[in-house]
Amino acid sequence: MLVKYEFLKIIRKKSTFIIMTASLLLTAFLFGLPIIQYQTYNQDGVIQGAQGIAYVKEQYSMSVPLSEEYIAESIGEVQRLFADSQNVGYDGNERFLIGDAYWNHIAPREKMLNMIAKTYDSPQENSGYQKLAELEAAEYNNFYQAMEDKMQALRNTPSRGLSDAQKAYWSNMADKIKVPLQYGYFEGWEIIMSSFELLVFAILSICIAVAPVFCGEYQAGTDAVVLAGRFGKTKLITAKIAASFLFGLLAFSLHVVVACGLPLMAFGADGWNLPVQIANTTIPYPFTFLQAALVSIGVIYLILFAMISFTLLLSSKMKTPYLVIIVLVPVLFFPIFLTPNGTTGTYNLTLFLLPYRAAMSDIGKYISYQFGNLVLDAFSMRAILYAMLTVIMIPFAKRGFQKHQVAG
Amino acid sequence: MELQLQHLSKQYGTNHAVEDINVSLAPGVYGLLGANGAGKTTLMRMICGVLKATSGDIRFNGKTMQELGEDYYAHLGYMPQDFGFYPDFTGREFMLYMAAVKGLGKRKAKARTEKLLSMVNLQEVADKKIKSYSGGMKQRLGIAQAELNRPSILILDEPTAGLDPKERVRFRNLISDFAKEKIVILSTHIVSDVSYIADTILLMKKGRFLLQEPMAAVTDNIRGKVWEILVPEWEAASFREQFSVVNLHHEGSMVRLRIVHENPPADNAVSVEPGLEDLFLYHFGEEQEGK
Repeated sequence: MLVKYEFLKIIRKKSTFIIMTASLLLTAFLFGLPIIQYQTYNQDGVIQGAQGIAYVKEQYSMSVPLSEEYIAESIGEVQRLFADSQNVGYDGNERFLIGDAYWNHIAPREKMLNMIAKTYDSPQENSGYQKLAELEAAEYNNFYQAMEDKMQALRNTPSRGLSDAQKAYWSNMADKIKVPLQYGYFEGWEIIMSSFELLVFAILSICIAVAPVFCGEYQAGTDAVVLAGRFGKTKLITAKIAASFLFGLLAFSLHVVVACGLPLMAFGADGWNLPVQIANTTIPYPFTFLQAALVSIGVIYLILFAMISFTLLLSSKMKTPYLVIIVLVPVLFFPIFLTPNGTTGTYNLTLFLLPYRAAMSDIGKYISYQFGNLVLDAFSMRAILYAMLTVIMIPFAKRGFQKHQVAG
Repeated sequence: MELQLQHLSKQYGTNHAVEDINVSLAPGVYGLLGANGAGKTTLMRMICGVLKATSGDIRFNGKTMQELGEDYYAHLGYMPQDFGFYPDFTGREFMLYMAAVKGLGKRKAKARTEKLLSMVNLQEVADKKIKSYSGGMKQRLGIAQAELNRPSILILDEPTAGLDPKERVRFRNLISDFAKEKIVILSTHIVSDVSYIADTILLMKKGRFLLQEPMAAVTDNIRGKVWEILVPEWEAASFREQFSVVNLHHEGSMVRLRIVHENPPADNAVSVEPGLEDLFLYHFGEEQEGK
């Protein structure tokens, strides 16, 4: 009963309606932007937006297991095309295929060929399909060995500063990747995965909506009457906290539906069951796109819960919701202005745990945390940290309201 | 049933808002009188457990508030001064919400809500949002919520402040209805309200009780100190400057003054029967007027 009324208190506020509407529109805009800005090319020129998406889905979508034979055959085909000088252009910097050779044989699967080519790159390189023309047969007949070698090279890069235990952790994880990889169309998932940190705006708006849960009582002068009630210092506080989390859960889920729904409606949900390595073969997590998205969203839910706890803690201690918001905004957005200069060291590892950065999936960065012999990847570390913060801050928020003195 | 305040004090830095209050209250209506800043609201907040005392104890039926915990609050009904409402709640929702805060079961909450809304004459507007209520309606809703749990201790802080005379009469009658077999502490600086319904007067000044007397005897100690005098209009101003004037009434070219003073203000002054307002002015006159 109390939870119901506390929930009503949150949702009936005009400010809640305004903030949530603005936040949903912003989320729709931010996650809809890649749809509007999407462009692809064919021989006739550029095709933009929904037409471009439809064209790519129709012309370029493919589904094929990336067996060693298929890869070798594809690389061989690229090499044969490059062997005919009439197919090759040169811009003074690099060679590339032109005309029908490009439009008929490369364009429909350029993304896949680029992915294959990058697998043969050293960690510092970033090649396109052109690199395939330079490969020796011994190399391109062993694509999965090249994939493993590149992952190992990344783990051993001195600037990453990974310990032996961390290297072993990532190596064990990579061993779980099922090969041969299944290739297919995954545009929608790629867009979602690259934009998760934008959900921080939704987290902020939810925190603003729950900021008055305790201090709104102080501000309105209702604190005296509720605290003098039988359950004012006990069940009421629990109900306020439960209502805040319930509101946060529902409001954020609505944002997630909008954030994921728009790209998936435009690009299609195809690719949900494909391995994330087809976007980047150095990703060590043995996830499909759906699994990676769910894990990322799960972590963001935990960030949300911790931020709600923090908001409630501030709300129980401060006099007005405005003061709460003044503290919240920098906590959420300060990390935007800090740039990591690597993936190791206290500064970087701390930065990757701060709310804005922690909302990024960073799935291919080999970010790990070591405590003695225990190694945790970024997802696990963030999940544990934010779950702990949620649990730790709640009792302080409770105590803050319990101990509140009606004075002045 | 007994509410005891034992050596109750509240200190803010060096300022004693309430100082060493000792009183034992049995069922009845207690009018807590005092000028603004006398410590009435602080005392009431401490009794309601929303403000921690610096020292001293509050006991209900022999047990301290801390020992009783939730049970203490179950006996309490509180209508704070100028308290806020949830503007987006309807009157009925607010009552049901407060019933839940007070731990009433769903069925009981509904029944009490309907009965009290009817008693305070808000049933017709019960489904309207509180933001549309007038000041008087909000005050009535305030006392209705305080009465939801049939409290043994009913604390009303300035319940009639800001009400028009008609609303005040209505409100006084409501309080009388609710006061049966309860300890009711009613704080106000509108002394006429207290005179109608209080059984006992608690007079507070600078955080201390100056007086704890039954209503019937409270004015005894200022008997012989209240005077009436008829003076020409031009002379009235000089009396007002020198004495605490309780009342001033024009009668043709003359003015009848009611004055509280130790000695007769003039030879032709007549001693009259003292009232509660005289008592109030006797103790707070200088404070009120800054003399």
